[in-house]
Amino acid sequence: MKLTRRDFAAGIVAGLAAPHVITSARAQGATIKIGMCAPVTGPAAESGRYAIQGAKLALEAVNKAGGILGKQAELIIEDDQTTNPGIVLAFSKLASQSDIVGFLGSIRSTQVHAMAPDVLKLGKPVMIGGTDPNLTHMGNQWLFRFRPNDSYSGRVIAEYGVNTLGKKKWAVLHSTDAFGTAGGKALTAALEKLGCPSVLDQGYANQSQDFTPVVLAIKQSGADILGSYFTFENDLGIFARQLRQLGVNIPWVGSPSIVNITALKLAGPALYNTYGVADYAEDSSEASKAFGKLYRDAVKVAPDNQSSWPYDAVTVLAAAINKAGSTDPAKIREAILLIKKFPGAEGEYNFDQNGDGLHGYNIVKNDKGKIVFDKHIEFND
Amino acid sequence: MDLVLQLLFTGIGIGAVYALVALGFVLIFRATNVVNFAQGEFSMVAAYLMVVFSVDLGWPYWLSFLIALGGMALLGVIFNLGVYYPLRHRTFLPVIIATIGASILLSNSVLAIYGPQPQVLQGWFDTPGIQLGPVYLDSQYLLIIAVTIALVFFNYWFFEKTLLGKKLQATSQDKEMASLLGISVSTMIMITFIYSAVLGGLAGLLVAPVLFVSIQMGSTIALKAFAATIIGGFGDVAGAIIGGLALGVIETFGAAYISVPYKDGFAFLVLVAFLIFRPQGIFGERVAEKA
Repeated sequence: MKLTRRDFAAGIVAGLAAPHVITSARAQGATIKIGMCAPVTGPAAESGRYAIQGAKLALEAVNKAGGILGKQAELIIEDDQTTNPGIVLAFSKLASQSDIVGFLGSIRSTQVHAMAPDVLKLGKPVMIGGTDPNLTHMGNQWLFRFRPNDSYSGRVIAEYGVNTLGKKKWAVLHSTDAFGTAGGKALTAALEKLGCPSVLDQGYANQSQDFTPVVLAIKQSGADILGSYFTFENDLGIFARQLRQLGVNIPWVGSPSIVNITALKLAGPALYNTYGVADYAEDSSEASKAFGKLYRDAVKVAPDNQSSWPYDAVTVLAAAINKAGSTDPAKIREAILLIKKFPGAEGEYNFDQNGDGLHGYNIVKNDKGKIVFDKHIEFND
Repeated sequence: MDLVLQLLFTGIGIGAVYALVALGFVLIFRATNVVNFAQGEFSMVAAYLMVVFSVDLGWPYWLSFLIALGGMALLGVIFNLGVYYPLRHRTFLPVIIATIGASILLSNSVLAIYGPQPQVLQGWFDTPGIQLGPVYLDSQYLLIIAVTIALVFFNYWFFEKTLLGKKLQATSQDKEMASLLGISVSTMIMITFIYSAVLGGLAGLLVAPVLFVSIQMGSTIALKAFAATIIGGFGDVAGAIIGGLALGVIETFGAAYISVPYKDGFAFLVLVAFLIFRPQGIFGERVAEKA
């Protein structure tokens, strides 16, 4: 066969056009893709597994109900290694796939901060679980939060401790990462507003092996109540045991990690009779109960916030795309912000212009290892 | 004063853990002239073995303990044959890189087999601790301190009073001369790896009830233990013990009186100070004379 000049030119054109045609075909592919950065390895690998399960359960429900824009939805997972460089790498891998229409980021504020500049550059919606209030207040319009931020948790912890438990002398303990620092600040600010400035504001570094100096500082401060923001369950478990061993038995109201499954398993009786603010409490609403049953049946583990927020994130993102009738990022963003009174596992979503979907917390008590719902405190500002 | 005593006890307890792992570093360094960066993972693997036998299979605690230590001896053999032996004629760098690779392999293998969930392991005693006046003594830390003291005497007796110990010392000091004297160098190195793996495993088994069993538990301890060996004088058994204890006490008091968030910083600040002002470590002179 003789290759003519025309055949050669046609070949070159076909070769140049092929990648575009393939990309375009992929973009209009059989599925709608959602990217998820999750800690498959590293210290948070266990909670990462719960997060993936939560997202997958939501995806199944979405697909059963007809999918997104008439197509089946697909989850693309990248390991964030529980580190900041890890999540930046994971997100860049996902972002390079142009057919991914929306993403799930991290539950850890420090990781969301690390990936935030790339999110802004990409300009596609990213659902997050990090609770540092700054995340939705730093001009990044593509971050949407599926847990109440720490300005609410701090206020709820303070209000419950001061007004319900009647305690005024507070020791505030927090990790020194973005989550813990923001949480600690929110709590101390809320306590000051209530006229009870903390007697001890103590930070600690993650992955500490010993908390004796911290426990002794709490003891010496004369505090009659403890408020805490722990990032990792290992730390919380070690601290809880040392706190009780060294004879500190003051009431303790903690951030959501105090009631998560891993913490309960590790600390055991050392966490009995503690209180926690919980964005997910199984008995707090019908939607929460329904998610709890679905999760237990599928995963055979009690549900917690690690799995509930990705469940809600996928559900809301799918609903928003369907409502927008398009995968155009700006239209999805608009549709998310218009979501009001949406019943989720975490609570009722009413998105504000900052991208915060929830504005209140539940208070729960550890009753001999069983987490019991006490009450929900909602704020309107 | 109560505060000082409580901090001192905790500092010595956590320092004893560093000392146990540091001892493993030192023994391998003396025998092979390389640093085994998988030493921390030995602790982690032993703790997971203990969880498998004691928690999952429900076997008696003492039996699980012995099986876990036996497993570590086997791991020492495999480590020697798989990581060190093929590279024994190369420079120290490929061996060190191989130990880093082995540490990654070990942690990821455990992750793949056992999953990422941290596990709870009960201690030897039903009583979590005793109140001695104003000081609370954690029973597990008491055991760790006791084992460390016992190991100091055992190491002295073993290396100074037994023929095998002397052969090991001879091998670590001059392999060629030891070989000329009829000592099987490769057997001595094998025994060193077995002993180091068992020591690392012992540290893991003792510390697991306090710090929980997790994939990261070994690397966190090993980093401090490595600093302890440098502070004590690399290659010196007594130095590893003193360095570990000193590090534990310094970081505990530093956290209590200066800053909790910078607790880890104190350990490495001391390390930097030693590297600048006394790079041979506390017991460095003896090593220098020997060299």
